[in-house]
Amino acid sequence: MAEPSGYGRFGSGHAVRRIEDPALVTGRGTFADDVSLDGQAHLVFLRSPHAHARIVSIDASAALAMPGVVAVITGADLVQAGVGLLPGPAPFKRPDGSPAASPPRRALAHEVARYVGEAVAAVVADTRARARDARDAILVDYDPLPAVVDPHDAVAPGAPLVFEAAPGNLAAAMRHGDAAAAEAAFAAAAHVVSLDLVNQRVAPAPMEPRAVLAHHDEATGRLTVRMSTQMPGGARNTLAQDFFGIPLEEVRVLAGDVGGGFGMKTGLYPEDAAVAYAARRLGRPVKWCAERSDEFLGAVHGRGVSSRAELALDAGGRVLAMRIRSLANVGAYATPTGVAIPLLVGPWVQTSVYDIPVIDFEFRAVLTHATPAGAYRGAGRPEAIYIAERLMDAAARRLGIEQAEIRRRNMIRPEQMPYRNAMDQTYDSGRFASIMDQALALGDWHGFERRLAESKARGRLRGRGIATFLEWTGGNAFEERVTVGVGGDGYIEIYSATQAMGQGIATSYAQLAVDVFQVPIERIRIVQGDTDRGAGFGSAGSRSLFTGGSAVRVASERTVHQARDLAADALEAAPDDLEYAAGSFRIAGTDRAIGLFELAARQPDRQIFVDATSSVEGPSWPNGCHLCEVEVDPDTGTVEVLEYASVNDVGRVVNPIIVRGQLDGGAVQGIGQALCEQIVYERDSGQLQSASFLDYAMPRAGLVRRFRTEMDTSIPCLTNPLGVKGVGELGTIGATPCVVNAVVDALWRAGAGERALSLQMPLTPERVWQTLHG
Amino acid sequence: MTTIRLRVNDDAVTREVENRTLLVELLRDSLGLTGTHVGCDTSQCGCCVVLVDGRPAKSCTVLAVQVDGAAVTTIEGLARRPADGGAPALHPLQQAFIDCHALQCGFCTPGMVMSAAALLAGSPAPSDEEIVHALEGNLCRCTGYNNIVAAVRQAADELARGGADGLPASGSGSGSGPGSGSATAAATASTPAAGSVAKEA
Repeated sequence: MAEPSGYGRFGSGHAVRRIEDPALVTGRGTFADDVSLDGQAHLVFLRSPHAHARIVSIDASAALAMPGVVAVITGADLVQAGVGLLPGPAPFKRPDGSPAASPPRRALAHEVARYVGEAVAAVVADTRARARDARDAILVDYDPLPAVVDPHDAVAPGAPLVFEAAPGNLAAAMRHGDAAAAEAAFAAAAHVVSLDLVNQRVAPAPMEPRAVLAHHDEATGRLTVRMSTQMPGGARNTLAQDFFGIPLEEVRVLAGDVGGGFGMKTGLYPEDAAVAYAARRLGRPVKWCAERSDEFLGAVHGRGVSSRAELALDAGGRVLAMRIRSLANVGAYATPTGVAIPLLVGPWVQTSVYDIPVIDFEFRAVLTHATPAGAYRGAGRPEAIYIAERLMDAAARRLGIEQAEIRRRNMIRPEQMPYRNAMDQTYDSGRFASIMDQALALGDWHGFERRLAESKARGRLRGRGIATFLEWTGGNAFEERVTVGVGGDGYIEIYSATQAMGQGIATSYAQLAVDVFQVPIERIRIVQGDTDRGAGFGSAGSRSLFTGGSAVRVASERTVHQARDLAADALEAAPDDLEYAAGSFRIAGTDRAIGLFELAARQPDRQIFVDATSSVEGPSWPNGCHLCEVEVDPDTGTVEVLEYASVNDVGRVVNPIIVRGQLDGGAVQGIGQALCEQIVYERDSGQLQSASFLDYAMPRAGLVRRFRTEMDTSIPCLTNPLGVKGVGELGTIGATPCVVNAVVDALWRAGAGERALSLQMPLTPERVWQTLHG
Repeated sequence: MTTIRLRVNDDAVTREVENRTLLVELLRDSLGLTGTHVGCDTSQCGCCVVLVDGRPAKSCTVLAVQVDGAAVTTIEGLARRPADGGAPALHPLQQAFIDCHALQCGFCTPGMVMSAAALLAGSPAPSDEEIVHALEGNLCRCTGYNNIVAAVRQAADELARGGADGLPASGSGSGSGPGSGSATAAATASTPAAGSVAKEA
């Protein structure tokens, strides 16, 4: 097929090289810590060494006497200043119907420290090194208290309480479904499958640690905060309204290049508020740049859900009911996302691509003396899909039905679309069996026996894994504002309040703009990260392209529409007589025309400006079937992922190279959780034992050598004008159960029996070896 | 304080530094070369890799006083500046990273590129195994690494065709860092320099 010529080669559907990259590969990116202001001071945090302790006193006199030290700020200072709390878990409820309960969260701990690493004091000095020196000179008198970090321990009678108003350490809980109907279904079922599954806590670990540079301008009274965030608008709102109690207009949040987020950089952190407070109080710019240990200790962890999960099935392998009891370890402070993810977002997709008529879910958010939990790539969906896919495999083995076949028997059929699941969520589109069939062919599922024999001949245990699944994207925030400025200088500048953190948003948006304006992509500038130019929900939940991109399309079309009237005036013609093509308006059938940029130059302010807000109708439901094959070395327990093949229903695609990057990169994160990553707390002391990259095993180069990743683009999403589906989290969600199922399969074939079925992540060599050898 | 003299991206540099000042602090804070990043505090992530006398070094783990007299190359110095003073041409590795979509957020990229540059300088035709091994000390959270390995392979092929060693020739480095100190709105990727259509898909 011939390539389209000119600008069209840069429109949507093409693998355009990213416009972000030339700056990033030459060291000219603008990450938060790359910006400095004259006279800036540096802030570092002193963190609690105890999981639970009363703060008896803080003596900062020696620190304050050290050279270059500007201030030492404590929780007591914040109380005295009258600044506010960070948002809690409202509007959820506890099991007795009382409001959700969580300790009041200040920017710095006051009177009690509730997890190892909670910030207790902030030290400000003229250099970072001097601030660190002074931190070592602060004397804190702690009275250590009993701590609990395991969620099962935390709900046991007599467990130490994180917060007096949360008896049993229950912050909040939700029940979904029909318990009586489920009970009846289980009683009548031909088969019941039951698994205890732990979805371990993991660290999102974007490579760029958080950084904040705050500056209060005395002249204007405004606070400007430059930070590494996925949600500039949300950070501004929380900072202004909840923390300072000042008008939104008095706070501006800026974000430049964001070095990965994965959900971890959503919302406002206590540290962000403390830096902003210091800047306002001291009247000079203050910068904080997190070290990696600050991130392990102080940034949210993801997952951390323990579940008893059960399926009731009929004799033919049809699922009659699903019952789940989960404890989510939300840490010492229940945050809005920390509670919503396990109690709502996960359950929304818990029945996945399967037509499961009856559910009975109980999800409890448990307070512990651990770092607060929050969003991490997938946020609830990986936990739910992991449960569903482990159950499906266990059911397949119990009933003697092949893994793909039992899934097929339970899948929602295309003619059931739109399909409302048992959680009252409506899927607009999806052909799940077709996606699975394509994947089975791509991964040569049925040719496994031959490869199994080859592995066996080499003394290796081979297994194959499958995961069929869907996910919900969008954060239920469907409105986006976009401004478009067509300049007389020959550039179209488009501002969006979504926030890039590596997803290639600028390139994808520019391609969408090329579709409408039909100008070279070099003429498009995409700007993000300035709440003065527009604030919105930001980027989370794989929402950017289908909400923000749709809004770019709509705003661009409105711009051309508005320009048409201006062109009609300029050409003294009726608007309907004008044709727009390749960046210019022409009176049909004549050679009289005016270029878009020339038209802009003739306007007052030399530009055509459009401020457009638009909405999509609902979430998108991307889905996929992932397959993999692994080999286990029986002598060492080492797992090697040999083949990974997936077919993904992602709707229409704007840039295939970017989508593929999201899918494969996301999959490696999911495989990281399956094989090596875990947050580890010492059970008695509550010490975080995996607080650096020395102790926390990140995936490295060579983990998976080759992905065969295909996209089925023939099933557009029906609730947004682009027909796209969110793709940021799909790979992560599918990869974890896919790889674990493959290892279970290898161990099951080796005779590990029930031990294989109850395998828990991460699949470290030691754990795999123990499972194999009992 | 100690006075050190070194060459950074082929510019002579003389600075007074504290004995505890790290090379990465010298580069970022004193010289404004913010392309070199800090991603951890235990020398694991490799975001800070630069070349010291042609060999890769984690600049978060080297004292500034240790590079007294050395030649340091950072990501800013990798692109070759033509003799006529025009815009620097991208190093084949930088171009390959763009071509292969070997970066997403871009934070690990400078360290990745510098580690790869060191590999190619010593091993012009590495196998995938050697590439993976050479990148063992560099973490990337976004890409899943395969596109990075592909980019290094592409650059190796390109350099083999051109016969260069991949390192900037003496006298060709760029010593000017990006201007920092501005608090104006960040225009993420507002540069109009768009790429062409990649081979993929």
